[in-house]
Formats: sequence, C-alpha cells, structure tokens
Amino acid sequence: MNRVALMAVVYLSPALAAAQGNTAELLDRAARYHADLDMERELVILRQVISPSSPFVVTHEQRVLAYKYLGAALVVLGQADSGVLYFRAALERDPFVDLETQKFTPAEIAAFNQAKRLTFGLGVRAIAVDTIDPRTERLTFTILSTHAADLRVQLRSAGTATGLTLYAGDNDGPRELQWNGLLADGRLAPSGRYELVLAGVSRLTQQSDSTRLYFSVQQDYPPLEDTLPALHTDELLPEQQPSAVASRELFRGLGIAAAAFLIPRTLANGELRDGGRSLATGVVGVASVAAVAGFIHRRRHREITANIAANSLRRAERVTTNATILKRNRERLDQARLIVAPAAGIGP
Amino acid sequence: MNPRRVLRVTVLLIVGPAALASQVSVQAGVHIARAEHRVLDAGALVPTSGTLFAASLALDVRDRFEIRGEALGGHFAATSTPSVDDHDVAELQVLGAVRVRPWLELQAGPVMRSLSSPLGRQHWTIVRVGAEAHIPLALEHVRGLLGGYWMPLVSVSGLRKPDVALSLTAGVQWLGRRVGIGTVYQLERFDFPSNAGTQRLEEFSALQLRITVWTSIRKPVSPS
Repeated sequence: MNRVALMAVVYLSPALAAAQGNTAELLDRAARYHADLDMERELVILRQVISPSSPFVVTHEQRVLAYKYLGAALVVLGQADSGVLYFRAALERDPFVDLETQKFTPAEIAAFNQAKRLTFGLGVRAIAVDTIDPRTERLTFTILSTHAADLRVQLRSAGTATGLTLYAGDNDGPRELQWNGLLADGRLAPSGRYELVLAGVSRLTQQSDSTRLYFSVQQDYPPLEDTLPALHTDELLPEQQPSAVASRELFRGLGIAAAAFLIPRTLANGELRDGGRSLATGVVGVASVAAVAGFIHRRRHREITANIAANSLRRAERVTTNATILKRNRERLDQARLIVAPAAGIGP
Repeated sequence: MNPRRVLRVTVLLIVGPAALASQVSVQAGVHIARAEHRVLDAGALVPTSGTLFAASLALDVRDRFEIRGEALGGHFAATSTPSVDDHDVAELQVLGAVRVRPWLELQAGPVMRSLSSPLGRQHWTIVRVGAEAHIPLALEHVRGLLGGYWMPLVSVSGLRKPDVALSLTAGVQWLGRRVGIGTVYQLERFDFPSNAGTQRLEEFSALQLRITVWTSIRKPVSPS
C-alpha cells in the first residue's frame, strides 16, 4: 500500500509543479520570442495563455502581462488597432501597466500611448506594512490616472463620508502623495481602518472612474498608566457626627452635673448635715449649662472639621496625582508611531 | 580628663537642658475657693466656712508626666463675729501624676495641712492616691473632671488615724491655647475612730474657681 502511495507521489509531483510553473514559463518564452521578433510563435503562446481553455492557472498579473505582449506583438505585425485593443485590455485590468522603452519599439509605445488616451482608469499602488514616526516621516501613496484627468484623492476613516483631501486637481500619469499621519482636525490618526479614495473625470473622454485602497493604522506608544479611581465612601473619613453623638455628649455633661450633685449626698457623712451641698450646686449648674449648650451646639454643627480637612487633602492629592499621570500619558502619546498595513475592507 | 569625654559632657550640658525644655510645659495657676469645714465631736457640730486662696505650679513632661505643687491659705469662721471656733488653714501639697490614657491620670502625693486657732495648732499629714478623668464635652475645649482619692496614710496631731479618709471631685474646665478656667467641687471626708463612745467626724468641702496658664500650646483632649 505504502509503495503504491510512494509511486503515485513520484509520478504526480513533477506534473503538479509543471502545471503551476507553465504560465510563467510560457510568458518567459513569449518575451524571448518578442525580443527575437518571432511574433508568430509569440502570438501562439500568448493566445494559449489568455484562452479560457488554458489548462494552467493564470494570475491577474500574468493575464495583464499577456495582454501587454499581445498588443505589442500585433503592433509589430502591423495590426496596430488590434494591438491597441489588447493594450486597453491590459490597462483596464491594471492602470499601472507600462511599456519599458528599452524593450519596446517607438511604434509599440505610440500604440500603447494611444490606448492610454482611449482608456480612462485610476489606480493606487498597494502599500506594504510600514512603521512611521509622524514627527519626522511620511507615508507615501502612489496613484495614477491613465491620462489627463480632474482628480480628487481623499483619505478618510473607513465608513465615514468626509475625510482629509490629499490632492485635488489635474493629473496625468503617476503621482506620489505623502501623508503625515494627521487628520483634517490636526490630530494624529487614531487606530482603525482607513480608505484612500480616488475619484476622477477624464479630460479627454469625460468618463469617470474611482478606486480605493484600504489600510489599517495602529498607534504604537509606551503603555499608558491608569488614573486613580474616584474615592469611595469607605476611603473617606466621616464628615458629620452621627446624630446620637449630641445625645451622648448631653449625657456626659449631665453625668458631671449628677456627680457633683451626688457627691455631698453620698460621700458626705449624714451626721454632719448638709455638708457642702450648696457649694456643689455651683458645679451642678455650670455642668448642666455646658451639657445643654454642647448638645445644642453639636446638633447645629455636626460637621467634623478635622475630617473635612483630611478628606479635602485626600481629594486634592488624587487630583494632583491624576494630573501628573495624564501629563505622563500625554507625553507617551506624543511619542506615538503609526504602524500602517494593508487591509481587505472597512472591517474584518 | 580625656578630651573626648570633656567634649561629650559639654555637649550634654548644652543640648540636654534644651532638649528637655522642648518637652516640658510649665503651668502656673491660682484659685479662689469658697470652703466649709464641718467638725462633729462629742455630739457637737461646728460648721465653719471661709474663702481660700491658692497658687500652684506644675511641670508637664512630654504631655505624660506631671508634678504639681500647691500652696493654699485662708480663714474659716463660724459666724460673722469672732469665736473660738474660728481658725486659719494653711496647706502645702505635692502631687505626682502619670497620664495612662489621654483622658485618665493616676495621681499620688503628700498633703501637709495646718489648722491654727486661738486654742492651738493642729497638723495634718496626708498621703493620697487616686485618679482623675478628663471627659471631653460637646463644646470645643470644654471638658468635665471627675476625681476620686483614697488617703491611706493620714496623721493628725492629737487624733488617731481616721477609719475613713476619702475625697471626691467633680468639675468643668475650659482650656484655651494657653489659659484654662475651671470650676471644681471637692469634698473630703474623715471619720475618726470612736473614743469613749463618741466619734469625731470632719469634712472639708470647697467650690473652687481655677485659672491656669501654661507655657506651651496644649493639645486637645482626644474624645473617648
């Protein structure tokens, strides 16, 4: 059984690899034929690549390349109109496609330029994962219109209607736009998904086109400190005496008065008759007045001044500490860098 | 003498009193009292009354220990007209106190008292032990006083040691930052042993008005 599986792998592996590699190989051969001006063979190969019945996997880029070479080959064979059609097919699929002057003849390039004039398309080159320091660095977007156009480029948070206009005006061909990481309000772009929207109208054909590039921005900064939470009641001292305290104080004062009243009546020897009772009345009176006055005072002024001051101090300390933490956090946010990466759309 | 030792002693002589002074508070006070002295002897009750004047000086160390000296004098009269029962009183007392709680002091000390009348002079020597509680009241800086003393050693010239010798006080004080004013009622009871079927009883009672000043700012009494 194992032997059968091993033999199947030995026989099938080269075939699978060949299927994947054939399109690239065919395109390489076509390019060599083009350089050797062997257009007949080149056309056979390229038509095989773009044919729907091609047995091989053809990527988007490979198909664009095939159209480009087909157009060039047909121009060389004197079928310029057909060549322009294939060039347009290539441009419609990828506006960034171009003919290298060292590989293609002026006639081919002229036909290609005619195709660009007839085809209106906008393009934006994909960005790679990058980290920029917004204080010193810029993120570069490469955009393109196939020919002269009135172009508007806007950068906005994904899903919103308005954003920062990076460019508005005439454009013809590629253009590099730089973004400093700030939004229209002058603040650093918060973490999230963004889109770069290109919209334009051809100055030659009055056609309109648009395209967009999604990317994500992640702010990268040192970890922020938490501010102190609000003080709970159990962290603060009571600022008012319980109402029972006034009664307790009253009983204390009356207790002193009672003691002064009872001393001559209990400690004094009865045989000495009325020893000191009239004198004790003085303290009884003063203590009673102090007790009642204290009771009234305590009922009217239940606040505990020392505790109020201590609580105010704690609150002030918290406010000061939080202000310091916020200051430190702001300093850390000021050092934020932006990690930019391609994204698939406005959301996961 | 070793120079190092000389230096050390010099530093101690300079720094020691200064350090001690920073922890010591001096109190001076005067009081005036309306007092009664009642004596029952051989069935006859002799009540006398008079006004007493006193001055006191106290040292408070680290708000914990206190030693107080008090000198008192006055005249007791039985009626508005002079009689043989009239007598003068002079008293010197020294009291040591330790504050075991912010509101409670334990006290002890000797009292020397002299009662002089036209008939003779009587000397009292008393050692008293007791406690005084300071009870904060609702009004700020006002406190109540309650004190109780036992006098285990009492020696009175011409008399035997009393069977009962007790004293109680109650009062109210207002304490400012450097001045205090208070009123205190005090009662002392002495029951002497019976002799030939009769018993001598004596009682001193007084209502004092005290004014005290001190050198350092007093800390408020903590509420109990």
